[in-house]
Amino acid sequence: MSTGLALLIAAVAMLVGILAGRAAPRVWLVAMLVGVSAAFVAALAVLGGAADWDWRGGFALGGELPHLRLDGLSALFLVLLCVVGGVATVYLREYWPEQEHPRSAGSGRMWWGVMLLCLGLLLLVSNGLHFLIAWELFTLSAYFLITLNRQRREVRAAGWLYLAASHASVLALFAFFTLLAVATGSWDLGPLRDRTELAPLFWLSLFGFGLKAGLFPLHLWLPSAHANAPSHVSAMLSGVTLKMGIYGLLRFSGWLPVPVGAGWVVAVLGVVSAVLGVAFALGQHDLKRLLAYHSVENIGIILIGVGFALVAVEQGDAAWGRLALAGGLLHVWNHGLFKALLFLGAGSVLHATGTREMSRLGGLWRTMPWTAGLFALGAVAISGLPPLNGFVSEWLVFLGLFDATLSRGPSAWAAIPAVILLGVTGALALACFVKVCGVVFLGAARSQAAAHAHECGPAMRGAMLVLAAACVAIGLAPIVFWPAIARATRAWHPGWSGLDPPAPLAALGLAHLALAAVATIAAWGLWRRVRIRGFKRALTWDCGYAAPTARMQYTAGSFAGVITEWFAFILRPERHEHRPDELFPVSASRTEHTPETVLERVVEPVGRIVMRVSRTVRRLQHGRVQSYVFYILVVLAALIAWVFMGGAR
Amino acid sequence: MNSNLNLLIGLAMGLNLLALGSSRLPTLIRAMSAQGVILGAMPVLMDHEPDWRVALVALATIAGKGLVIPGLLRRAMRTVQIDRELEPLIGFVPSMLLGAGGAIAALALTHLLPLLPEHAGSLLVPGALATMLTGFILLIGRTKAISQVCGYLILENGIYLFGLLLIKAMPLMVEAGVLLDVTVGVFIIGIIVDRIQRAFDSLDTRKLTALRE
Repeated sequence: MSTGLALLIAAVAMLVGILAGRAAPRVWLVAMLVGVSAAFVAALAVLGGAADWDWRGGFALGGELPHLRLDGLSALFLVLLCVVGGVATVYLREYWPEQEHPRSAGSGRMWWGVMLLCLGLLLLVSNGLHFLIAWELFTLSAYFLITLNRQRREVRAAGWLYLAASHASVLALFAFFTLLAVATGSWDLGPLRDRTELAPLFWLSLFGFGLKAGLFPLHLWLPSAHANAPSHVSAMLSGVTLKMGIYGLLRFSGWLPVPVGAGWVVAVLGVVSAVLGVAFALGQHDLKRLLAYHSVENIGIILIGVGFALVAVEQGDAAWGRLALAGGLLHVWNHGLFKALLFLGAGSVLHATGTREMSRLGGLWRTMPWTAGLFALGAVAISGLPPLNGFVSEWLVFLGLFDATLSRGPSAWAAIPAVILLGVTGALALACFVKVCGVVFLGAARSQAAAHAHECGPAMRGAMLVLAAACVAIGLAPIVFWPAIARATRAWHPGWSGLDPPAPLAALGLAHLALAAVATIAAWGLWRRVRIRGFKRALTWDCGYAAPTARMQYTAGSFAGVITEWFAFILRPERHEHRPDELFPVSASRTEHTPETVLERVVEPVGRIVMRVSRTVRRLQHGRVQSYVFYILVVLAALIAWVFMGGAR
Repeated sequence: MNSNLNLLIGLAMGLNLLALGSSRLPTLIRAMSAQGVILGAMPVLMDHEPDWRVALVALATIAGKGLVIPGLLRRAMRTVQIDRELEPLIGFVPSMLLGAGGAIAALALTHLLPLLPEHAGSLLVPGALATMLTGFILLIGRTKAISQVCGYLILENGIYLFGLLLIKAMPLMVEAGVLLDVTVGVFIIGIIVDRIQRAFDSLDTRKLTALRE
């Protein structure tokens, strides 16, 4: 089956799905799965070695001839889109059914189809105008998906913030594509690496795509949108749509020349996003908001890889640049997989208990063993622990950075702090997920809802299993996935052809296999011992309290308290405490809340100033003719004065 | 000749002050129309050899500004039964002071302007500036639509005075065009006056602010 035919089938199936979405859920499900699988086949074929697919239509669409192309880079992202999109489609059937959400289920299915189709189109189009159209459509469909549950006020606020931020991003992209079209004389996109005068456009694309990807200072829309969207939408937003920002950045830094120093900027932004993303995640008490901040962190890790690759290109030093880029690209997949898994897991917790507040959860592993196990697996993967996929990609980035320290020049000096901070990020992520798993799944239930939780159904469980299996597969056999990464690397920079897998990659796979085998055997042994000998229940040491309650457990805030203290300079947590002050204290309390610092301390004050100035200026427009004539007179007088001052010369 | 002209312009500037200082609308209209007649006669006095076209324009100006427009305004005034500006935004004495100050400032300003030597001694330029300023003050300071029309017309008189500087260079057609503009403007305002009167039962333009959005 040729690539073009597969993509045509995918498009037709998606259209059928969109049309059937409202009325016929079964037809919709089948059509979506067919579409996703067909696109998956096409993308795999290209990654597996088939020629790039290039197609030009003979008819004008919006005044431009359509031009689609599927090369290694877009195929890499298309694979991720198909896997996460397909899995989340299955999940959503059970998570957002007609019975529980009669008002929004139908439109949710339809917009879901629109978003998947537009994301796919975005990856294929090779025309600036059509790129903008696809981008805008996917932004809008994501908005309708985020606000599916729009009866709630915070959901509407989150949707509005998302829409506003997306518009800022689209504005930058409009400028980017228009200036590009003016400079080249055509909206058609393609490699233009020798047109060095186009280099400054990179900054526009960095802002536009960076806002969408959720770079640190531009992430302000991300936490609330991810937290308030339905969980399958959060999985898609975090797993795939953030990556569209990365895709755009990579696509156009590969096709167009980049200005000097761009790589450094991207790498610094990456490091900042990684460290601060995880620091903010530690301060969160809302499960999904915490996961959303981890997206900022992982986008940072990807950008470290991309940034150092750009530096390597600038310095003509290919070897370590390739490794860093390969790590970044593989992390695109990995983050998409484990973050989608974690969001789906958070979704089934939310589905079972009705709350995202970690302080109301606890002890869920007893009632939800599947969710707990799969979430823990995702947590291990995102923390970058062997033998799972997170370790593989972070390790590739590390390899690139290590090689960079051995090279000469400033990149060596820059790579050392980057390595250290990347290591810090991994450690903090581990701490954060220990906190999440400990508070949510272990211990005792902190509320009635958590005590009466129930395991999710087969569709949701199956969806999570597929993602977990993909995480394990990349972790255990990374060498299998190397050709795909190499293909994408070549599409980004044609000079980096003939990529052999780095020697330690195969060894890493073997080590992972061995580790996994040892862990499995150990677990099996333990399980057998428990089965044979049984176990005794006893009280843990309870500080002398006769009747400990669930409220005496460590809270999410106390787990992370030490670390959030280190980052208090940027997190600016709001604390209210009433310490016990007598021998027999009557009451004591302490609450802690980490605000959206960038939004609340930077953007909102600036917005308020703008509003105040605008309101003052608006007073000039009041409808009194007399004053309007007065304005004319004042301006005339000012002009006369200006002429006499000699300003006209 | 120059002294004759200056006398007329001085008269026109005096009429400015009269227009600014009177609270009665008939006085305002009378001052405005008298100014129009004076200005209309000026081209004939300025021109050395008599030209029938100049005479025609002078006649048209006198007829238009001195008779037709004031007549229309008086009729409008009668139909809406208003003959006083009761609550000006800028009081009558302050507006007179402003107008006088403006005239002095215009005289001072004229010395700074790079004028042709034959215009240096005449009151044409300061007279034009002062008259335009008077028009502006009336526009800014009065609330009744009829006073505003008078303000526009006095403003136009000022522009006309400036035009006299260029009477040899500027085709008279342009002047006729300005006059036509103002006439059309007056007609439109006449219609609006009628509408305001019917819709709001008042001629107060401040009540138009309800229409701003």
